[in-house]
Amino acid sequence: MKTTAEPGWLRWLLIAAALGFLGINLALPLAQVFAGALAKGIAVYRAAVVEPDAVAAMRLTLTVAAIAVPLNIVFGLAASWAITKFDFPGKAMLISLIDLPLSVSPVVSGLIYVLLFGLQGWAGPWLREHDIRIVFAVPGIVLATVFVTFPFVARELIPLMLEQGRSDEEAARSLGATGWQTFRRVTLPNIRWGLLYGVLLCNARAMGEFGAVSVVSGHIRGLTNTLPLHIEILYNEYNYVAAFAVASLLAGLALVTLVAKSVLEWRFGDAIAGGGH
Amino acid sequence: MTVAVANLVKRFRDHTALDGVSLDVRPGEFLALLGPSGSGKTTLLRIIGGLDFPDAGTVAFAGRDVGAMAARDRKVGFVFQNYALFRHMRVADNIAFGLTVKPRGQRPTGAAIKRRVDELLALVQLPGLGGRFPAQLSGGQRQRVALARALAVDPQVLLLDEPFGALDAKVRNDLRRWLRGVHEAMGLTSIFVTHDQDEALDLADRVAVMSDGRIEQVDTPDAVYNRPATAFVADFIGNATRFDCRLADGVIEVAGVRLANTAPAAADGRGVAFIRPHEFALASAGEPGLAATVRRVAHTAARASVECVLADGRVVDVSAPLDVAAAAGEAVTLVPTTVRAYPA
Repeated sequence: MKTTAEPGWLRWLLIAAALGFLGINLALPLAQVFAGALAKGIAVYRAAVVEPDAVAAMRLTLTVAAIAVPLNIVFGLAASWAITKFDFPGKAMLISLIDLPLSVSPVVSGLIYVLLFGLQGWAGPWLREHDIRIVFAVPGIVLATVFVTFPFVARELIPLMLEQGRSDEEAARSLGATGWQTFRRVTLPNIRWGLLYGVLLCNARAMGEFGAVSVVSGHIRGLTNTLPLHIEILYNEYNYVAAFAVASLLAGLALVTLVAKSVLEWRFGDAIAGGGH
Repeated sequence: MTVAVANLVKRFRDHTALDGVSLDVRPGEFLALLGPSGSGKTTLLRIIGGLDFPDAGTVAFAGRDVGAMAARDRKVGFVFQNYALFRHMRVADNIAFGLTVKPRGQRPTGAAIKRRVDELLALVQLPGLGGRFPAQLSGGQRQRVALARALAVDPQVLLLDEPFGALDAKVRNDLRRWLRGVHEAMGLTSIFVTHDQDEALDLADRVAVMSDGRIEQVDTPDAVYNRPATAFVADFIGNATRFDCRLADGVIEVAGVRLANTAPAAADGRGVAFIRPHEFALASAGEPGLAATVRRVAHTAARASVECVLADGRVVDVSAPLDVAAAAGEAVTLVPTTVRAYPA
């Protein structure tokens, strides 16, 4: 039985257009990364991946993500909680500030830290006296990554929490719950899927960020190179196989987070449906 | 427990939600806050529950000032308009919530909580449904779960915001009676907000009629209906037709008919008069009174309903005995028998 008025050929055309677009823009480049990585065989691929500079870049990328993501979870939760559950002066201002990293070019975000903490920067002399290195060192990379990725959790949660309203929290309070009990037992379970999604986006950006990190890193091999920076260096040195091999690692990290999300959704799908989400 | 509020003022950015509200609720009373939307009734309820705080004025429970006390310390049961059930928790966990968040020293044991939840499920007539999620319940069932959850912590004051608003008419009537029974059985002092006057008049011991952030009248349903204190109450409660009139020496003149005023004495001069459908007598055309034409006669209740059109085009419902002689198209005179008039 036909349930739609669209003719069959139109449906097939739309499906073909969508799949074709996905194939050309997503599947083909991804396949090309892995094909390029393995162009000279598995041994060359292994050598490029276990090479000390690549391992150091991998470690730095994971370290930066491990610091930036938890910080932004805390910040994102605090900001969306404050914005959606309370009224206070300056709220509109705070919402615009959260969007700032998305509207500013990442290169500018990086430069801000150079201007603040670089040798010629605002706090430069003081930092040099106390022998603290921020720019062209790991702290700078962490700061720039935190800055660039801080909207992701908050922007995922604010619309969700606005839609859910305040009455669940008010009910919990009138039943005698403390602020922390209300948050842990009522708010957090209500937003957990939005939060997970925000964390995955934040994590993907934290590991993949190039522009801001490039400005503050200083590109010291084995010390301040993250995976994206390491890939660029290899590529500029015409070392295509190694560049693709390391790129495949980065793509692999993205695929792992994607699979993790799907597994969680599948594993807890019943709870989502039963909970009425 | 008495609930007393005095001189409450609450302003939101550009309007005054409460403009000097005072109200005393007696122990064991079932009181309705009735008014059109925007009259401030929900704001008043939220302030009593500690969910909002007034800009001025006091709130006292049993003579004790609770104005500075947070919602979690007031020990009131609050039932929200949309029920606000925790959708990720099963019904039993929803009901147990208030018990499980108590400080460790006062928290009942797991077995005691389970017993209490079963008692409450029986009270709200949902035995065996503790394992469901709220999304798997009907509207009426959710409402009863919300009530059970509020009652779990043994509140002495129960606050309900439009408790029947989201339910269909049949379920609503059943729940009304049942809620009244629960209120009496548990010895609660209850306050509920409604915009539905039938609900307020049918259910409450006393009704507080609100308009524009003020309380117009607090009285029994009988008094609010039959002896409205202000023009607003006379207009808002029941079905009444409004006329301009003249007041002189306590006598009202409406359309050439002079009658004694049954409303509180008003100063002489121009006024507004309200007449209910059963307060007209039908007379033949030409008599002193309001000239009208009968449009429709319905014999579908204990009394006949005669729909009349006045000379100025206004439609007036007149309640008449079932054996009324009027027929559609006939010219008649409406003679007011009782009139309530207020200063204009």
